[in-house]
Amino acid sequence: MDPQGTVGEALRHQGVSRRSFLKFCAAMASMMGLPPDAAAAIAESLAKARRPSVIWLPFQECTGCTESLTRSNSPTVESMIFNMISLDYHETLFAAAGEAAEAAREKAIKENFGRYLLLVDGSIPTGLDGAYSCIGGVSNVQMLQEAAKGAAAIVAIGTCAAFGGLPKANPNPTGAVPVSALVTDRPVINVSGCPPIPVVITGVLAHYLTFGSVPELDALGRPKAFYGDTIHDRCYRRPFYDQGKFAKTFDDEGARSGWCLYELGCKGPVTYNACATVKWNDGTSFPIESGHGCLGCSEPDFWDKGDFYKALPTGTWSAGRTLAVAAAAGAAVGAAAAAVSRRRQAAIAKEK
Amino acid sequence: MSALQDIAVKVIGPGGLSGNVEALLHEIATLLAALATEGRSSSIDLQGLPLTPADREYLRQRLGAGEVRALVNALGPSEVRETAYRGVWWVTHRNAADELCAELIEVTPVPQILLADRQEIVDALERLRLCLCDGAARGP
Repeated sequence: MDPQGTVGEALRHQGVSRRSFLKFCAAMASMMGLPPDAAAAIAESLAKARRPSVIWLPFQECTGCTESLTRSNSPTVESMIFNMISLDYHETLFAAAGEAAEAAREKAIKENFGRYLLLVDGSIPTGLDGAYSCIGGVSNVQMLQEAAKGAAAIVAIGTCAAFGGLPKANPNPTGAVPVSALVTDRPVINVSGCPPIPVVITGVLAHYLTFGSVPELDALGRPKAFYGDTIHDRCYRRPFYDQGKFAKTFDDEGARSGWCLYELGCKGPVTYNACATVKWNDGTSFPIESGHGCLGCSEPDFWDKGDFYKALPTGTWSAGRTLAVAAAAGAAVGAAAAAVSRRRQAAIAKEK
Repeated sequence: MSALQDIAVKVIGPGGLSGNVEALLHEIATLLAALATEGRSSSIDLQGLPLTPADREYLRQRLGAGEVRALVNALGPSEVRETAYRGVWWVTHRNAADELCAELIEVTPVPQILLADRQEIVDALERLRLCLCDGAARGP
């Protein structure tokens, strides 16, 4: 049960080549915005780092965050982090069950007290004394509080663990709260998103393994390396927003031309995440690129922040004035474009 | 019924050269000087720089090609290309899904990723010896 040896030795025993490891370090350095020379330093310290014991506690969750991370069958650059850690308890993934699994958790906590990393997904229900979610007769509240005592750091994975997520949405029948509401004396890193981008989770763990410390966090406890910019700041459709070209419905001329989805409810301007740059499914696409506005899933209480399909009110974010101007200009340009479009459609119809 | 590729997406964004390539070449020269006089290796992360696609192409042209082109297969393809300037290498790392992981200009005698690791050499010797033992045991 003790994590054996160093990260370097663990990778070697698992048949991960040194070159693959160097590639992983180069990718991590690049993704975390560190200078490339840091890759060599990361490789050196990571190889020598003691393989940390990691305990994953799933609470009131849909398992989407676990799914997001574990979909690969063979080691990839992104999933190599799992070769580096010693995952000593993960209820969903564990082969063991029942008392054997519970015993494994207790043993891992006891033997690595003060040193293990605690990963949590799902919110924690506090209603009815925590009875809404129990594992082996122990409420989530109790389990979290016990496990947090000996944790070096806690990573709240997904919006449910970070901010309460869907269970916390109005009327919050189970009294769901985020990890940070119950754990106040240990460092908590919020990796929000519904689910979070897999490689973001990897990056946070890699940072912790390499530097032995929590990365720089924003006001909501999210690592700035991934949550420093809004979707709007890095969106490839930004030129259309700036020119006032907005899609009005999901299948109009504007939508087909890939115009800005602001008027269809996109929450990009107020959402901090790495979707616009890192993207999803190995960099394939992200919601806006696929034609649907951002839901703001990495922000607190996004389920209760109004209609997903209604535009953000002007003035809710700092560029309110610019937005009004852009919208007005957009309306004018849009009207003109619509007129041109109608004339063109009429011409085509006449030709037929 | 129109196909996915028929949906017109017109992106009007900044194109052309930004002028950053000249600055980058000057930086490479400085790093190459450090390599020549002090033997100090260094690298530049191209992903962190504001380079347009035209810039990248222009940089490739300016740096040219050298004698070495190596393909490394480690959890996906990585390519190591020597430029026309000895000691300046263009290294591209891709993952198993052929997605770009990192792109670097390395100023060094030879990029680290090409070297065989010490511990792996020791492991390989053990494996080879075992293999030879097996061969001998099966015998003529």
